Amino acid sequence: MVALSAPQALPTPTIVPLGDSALLVRFGSTLTDQANRAAIALALALDRSPIAGVVEVVPSLVSVLLRYEPAAGTSLGTIAGELRLLLSVLDDSAPVTTSWVIPIRFDGPDLEAVSAALGMASSQFVAAHNARPLRVLATGFAPGFVYCGLHADELVLPRRTEVRPAVPPGSVLFAAGQTAITATAMPTGWHVIGSTDFANFDPSGELPTRLNAGDVLTFEVAP
Amino acid sequence: MSAVLAILRAAPLTSIQDRGRFGMLQHGISASGPMDKAGYDLAGVLGGGGHGGIEFTTAGLEFKLSSGQCRVGFAGGDFQIRRNGTLLDWPGSGQLGEGDVLSITPGRWGNYGYVRFDAGIDIAPVLGSVATSSRARLGGIEGRSLRVGDVIALSGGGDGITAISQRRPELEAGPIRVTWGLHADLFSPSLRQRFTEAGFVVSASLDRMGVRLTDSERVFADATILSLASDAIVPGDIQILGDGTPIVLMRDHQPTGGYPRIATVVSADLDRFAQLRPGTAVAFAPVTVEHAHALLRSRQT
Repeated sequence: MVALSAPQALPTPTIVPLGDSALLVRFGSTLTDQANRAAIALALALDRSPIAGVVEVVPSLVSVLLRYEPAAGTSLGTIAGELRLLLSVLDDSAPVTTSWVIPIRFDGPDLEAVSAALGMASSQFVAAHNARPLRVLATGFAPGFVYCGLHADELVLPRRTEVRPAVPPGSVLFAAGQTAITATAMPTGWHVIGSTDFANFDPSGELPTRLNAGDVLTFEVAP
Repeated sequence: MSAVLAILRAAPLTSIQDRGRFGMLQHGISASGPMDKAGYDLAGVLGGGGHGGIEFTTAGLEFKLSSGQCRVGFAGGDFQIRRNGTLLDWPGSGQLGEGDVLSITPGRWGNYGYVRFDAGIDIAPVLGSVATSSRARLGGIEGRSLRVGDVIALSGGGDGITAISQRRPELEAGPIRVTWGLHADLFSPSLRQRFTEAGFVVSASLDRMGVRLTDSERVFADATILSLASDAIVPGDIQILGDGTPIVLMRDHQPTGGYPRIATVVSADLDRFAQLRPGTAVAFAPVTVEHAHALLRSRQT
């Protein structure tokens, strides 16, 4: 988090059609902090100032999806034009975010290996992992799944070479400078470092998930 | 209007669908909905417009009306349908009374068929829809495929019958039209050209999430895996896996993905593509987004 900063120039986005019923605004092709902040800021701006004909807005790691209904007569050119106007005044200086505290049990099968690979004792790794808050970078890979980041350079580790066929809901995953939390059972190639009782998916709720892109998470060791 | 039907025979991909669960992508849930929307809509018109319906595959379907009575409409690919052993016209409609058995077996073409009724599928919606999501395991009955012994209640009315042309997608020949995809610029011009000239074959590995293609001309054999940040996926996206296998992502697609996507099947051709059986040759022809929109609008008239 950058406190009291002036609005920063955002990476120049590209607007790309995604099929005939959606377009994507991309702030980059690889994950950077700046591109991610821009994607979240654009999604928030589109929430505040909806574009006519756009039926769904979904931020991802470095891009924002706008879905529209071509059969209703919406034209790609009109949406792109309105989007350019919105982008010209977009800044990421005042994101609306919610802060959360997430208790984690550092009991994952890969905790020792991850700590060793980073040259730390596991207690050191846990302390470093929890040392500063992370931002929810993106949601939506699977129900309730969240990517959080970005960790400092000394905590960056590639994914595992082998995929675990299934990890349970509430698994805390770690790779590529990020911590992720699962809300459903899934296969993963990420390191499993812990577990949490924080459940981010409830299909019976009016909104099925609690965390949104841009939210700030502080991790602490579960009592 | 009310009735209860009991499933006597169902294959693993048989599911309850409605037009889909939209607006949930940021929560990690793709829309689902019928693999052949036009077939689903036609079955609804023929049946009387009750909400929701049953999607089945070439493995067929059999159910008994254990109580009540209803009108049933059926459409989609080509199937044979019998009421108490007597063949009915397909696509078509009929009346069902208590004890009647409807039995469906595959016909000459297509992967998916639909039965719909003049009453709605009486199942509590999950996040606004009764559509079964095979990926998120939501909707329908416990988020799963139908199986023998399942009982489905029908209740409420339908929207009535309006005229609609009984489209026969088998007659629409020609390549599947696509718009260039999100990562088309990462494929060389010569590779993009080969993509439009090559013949692919629908493989036996297909389900509601995706259809793998056989690339016997090895167009993508040397396509190197690229490291990309995950972006949103839409139905029809053609993704090239790390081993060069092209896969067309369908209604239960994963919401985001990091594999490169060369093209996206246009909405007007996605139903037709979904109905191509394993072993069918398929070619892709690029069109502009504007052309894809014109195709959609011409369908509505």
